[in-house]
Amino acid sequence: MLREITLGQYYSTESKIHSLDPRTKITGTFIFIISLFLFRSVVTTITAAFFLAFVISLSRVPLGFILRGMKSIVFILLITVVFNLFLTPGIPLFSFHGLVISDEGLKVAAFTAVRLIFLIIGSSIMTLTTTPNNLTDGLEALMNPLKVFRVPVHEVAMMMSIALRFIPILMEETDKIMKAQEARGADFESGNVIERAKALVPVLVPLFVSAFRRANDLAMAMEARCYRGGEGRTKMKPLVYKRIDLAAYFVLVLYLALMILAGIFAP
Amino acid sequence: MGIVEAKNVTFEYVKRDEEGNAEGFIRALDGVSLSIKRGEFIAVLGGNGSGKSTFAKHINAILYPGEGMVIVDGKDTKKPENLWDIRQEAGMIFQNPDNQIIGNVVEEDVGFGPENMGIPTKEIWERVNEALKAVGMYAYRKHSPNKLSGGQKQRVAIAGVMAMHPKCIIMDEPTAMLDPMGRKEVIRQVRALNDVEKITIILITHYMEEVIYADRVYVMDKGRVAMQGTPREIFSEVDRLRELRLDVPQSTILSHELNKAGFQLPEGILRREEFVHELVKYVGGRFYGGSLESVKEPKEASDYTKPGMTERDPRESLILDKVTYTYEKGSGNEIRALDNVSVQIGKGEFIGLIGHTGSGKSTFVQHLNGLLKPTSGQVYFRGEDISDKKYRKINLRSHVGLVFQYPEHQLFEETVFKDVCFGPKNVGMDDKQTELSAYEALRSVHLPEEYYFSSPFELSGGQKRKVAIAGVLAMKPDILILDEPTAGLDPKGRDEILELMRDLHENKGITVILVSHSMEDVANYVKRILVMDKGRIIMDGDPKHIFMRYKELENIGLSAPEVCYLMRALRDRGFDIDPSVTTIDAAVYEILRITGQGA
Repeated sequence: MLREITLGQYYSTESKIHSLDPRTKITGTFIFIISLFLFRSVVTTITAAFFLAFVISLSRVPLGFILRGMKSIVFILLITVVFNLFLTPGIPLFSFHGLVISDEGLKVAAFTAVRLIFLIIGSSIMTLTTTPNNLTDGLEALMNPLKVFRVPVHEVAMMMSIALRFIPILMEETDKIMKAQEARGADFESGNVIERAKALVPVLVPLFVSAFRRANDLAMAMEARCYRGGEGRTKMKPLVYKRIDLAAYFVLVLYLALMILAGIFAP
Repeated sequence: MGIVEAKNVTFEYVKRDEEGNAEGFIRALDGVSLSIKRGEFIAVLGGNGSGKSTFAKHINAILYPGEGMVIVDGKDTKKPENLWDIRQEAGMIFQNPDNQIIGNVVEEDVGFGPENMGIPTKEIWERVNEALKAVGMYAYRKHSPNKLSGGQKQRVAIAGVMAMHPKCIIMDEPTAMLDPMGRKEVIRQVRALNDVEKITIILITHYMEEVIYADRVYVMDKGRVAMQGTPREIFSEVDRLRELRLDVPQSTILSHELNKAGFQLPEGILRREEFVHELVKYVGGRFYGGSLESVKEPKEASDYTKPGMTERDPRESLILDKVTYTYEKGSGNEIRALDNVSVQIGKGEFIGLIGHTGSGKSTFVQHLNGLLKPTSGQVYFRGEDISDKKYRKINLRSHVGLVFQYPEHQLFEETVFKDVCFGPKNVGMDDKQTELSAYEALRSVHLPEEYYFSSPFELSGGQKRKVAIAGVLAMKPDILILDEPTAGLDPKGRDEILELMRDLHENKGITVILVSHSMEDVANYVKRILVMDKGRIIMDGDPKHIFMRYKELENIGLSAPEVCYLMRALRDRGFDIDPSVTTIDAAVYEILRITGQGA
């Protein structure tokens, strides 16, 4: 079940977007998301749509693959739309059984849906084109100034990258434990919610025990390889801005300028 | 001075009770002294709890001696300022391949050590590439470690240590969790590092075949060095090793047994060729030498009948009829894990299932108790189709018990007893029956009664495994399937589990299916062998007949027990010997027979 979720999973290919520095991509995504929230007119939405289409075409990730990933959020999207549709006050357009749809509600619901879709596609472009490691490196580099405020930036990044490494291992382990308990007659499929939750205890306890054992082993292995925190560590793959990043930042500025202009002159 | 000098090292663990108060000490090391020279290949042997792992952790300063001292390359491990130098000079490889790989990409993992040491980027790359080439994993540098085999993961871990340019590498049971092929792969690599790169190797293991290449062997027992010497010297003392519950290579044990019967072969024979050479030399004149014509050629594969299995009653059997199972059906990258498998498992059989990793063994056994449903084909238990909608799965689960690999990882209850009750309760026994069968199951695995109400997490590895097996036995299965029940255990633990299987089979009439990588175990215990390859059962017969086809077995990544090769080699030298011998006892008898000494 978990394996079917493709939202934001790295898509391996070579493209201009793939070759960008992770810092560029994180910054870009951030600016794109902010621009979506600052401007809410038809013109700005169309501008954003063009920008997104441009980035997707550069990324060489098939549109089908991106949209398939969206399946998992259809439910959230529907809820948002329904709430906005019925709960926004304004001039009533339709009404049945006491539920009222207003003109304002229709507008808000449509905009919210579009913005939400843009937001998710925009940020999944980042994760689709950046390996998890690269992403962690980028985050670490971008958050580095926070070290002044004693934020353990390196440690957090290290934890994220270890988590990424162990997710598939622990998923496999969950599968194994579930099967082992099923072989002992455990039943995960019938019963009500409470019974089902209870049935998970024999899976969760061994899973936690194993996670702690692995954590312990890993900590020892890291120490044995001279790990002592971020101090004095060098990088095998240091992040270096290239020419293409400069171009990307230029495009970003251009996009932002367009949005601001559109926001001012066509509100 | 040697690269590692241990002087009278003593180490104690604090034993704590449930509230965390210190109850007392457990002495893990008790006055260990040894000296290891530069460039040596050292093996440290010992059962679980002998202190060998604790000692290993002293060499790279993960632990410090309570008394005595450890000096690595002239540096005292107790002095904090030496810590990072020592950890760089004495690299360490651990048992579990997954739990020591940090990077998400092979090359990044290898670079982890140098990064920590503060090596400049350019040099890190040089070191990483060099290390990956040294272990033959350069082609995999961009791969995710999760996609590698166990042996490959261990090689990546070795590369990770190599990139730190260590002077010595300590390996704490690096092959315990690998299959035979992975084990060979890692040991070959380690020997190459020792030969070519002149790195000092300290290999901690309980596999004897890995020890024979060592320059020197230390045997540990109860925190002390119990024996030391060259492999030949160590293996000359077969009785002493047995006393310490350690294994001995089959050539060594065979010559030892023959000597007991009056032969005068040198003790401490390690290799096959050596054994044959010595035996020919010794028997020489007394050799009755049948001509080669009198030697019975093994029967062709086609004309052996499945011995003693013609009487299987289908009403009492578990039958797979043309079962095929495909993973990820319809996704484009389908994997056919089972391919048209048909087999009948009769009441009271003792079956061994062998096949290399990925041959479909696990998928096969999961069909036997309905955990997996065939993509096509049927499974019948006592005449009923188990994929039928009306068939009650829980019924099948109580009749067919399946013990997974590392079953101790499924324990979860507060007490051993409660955990064992889990299965019987699930299959619908009432409280009284449940407790009764739990008690009976715990007794049959010979777990001391004092542990019944302690937490399963406090037990030793071997004991935990017994509890997990009891958890399945308590469901009173008629058929018990065990997926590598001896994996990761020391010889003592292994023998206990295997004896338990034999006992259940002989005295309780339980059908046992043993999935194993150890040909010796299979040869010694089972009566029928199924060989799997690429999702098919390609051989089915008794051990004698299966192991006579050792050439075919080798082609699919398996082998025969060492003693089969010994018999073969003797036959090639003209001995009129029965080539179908699969156990040491039979081999002793056979050699005595042909040399006329047994009569």
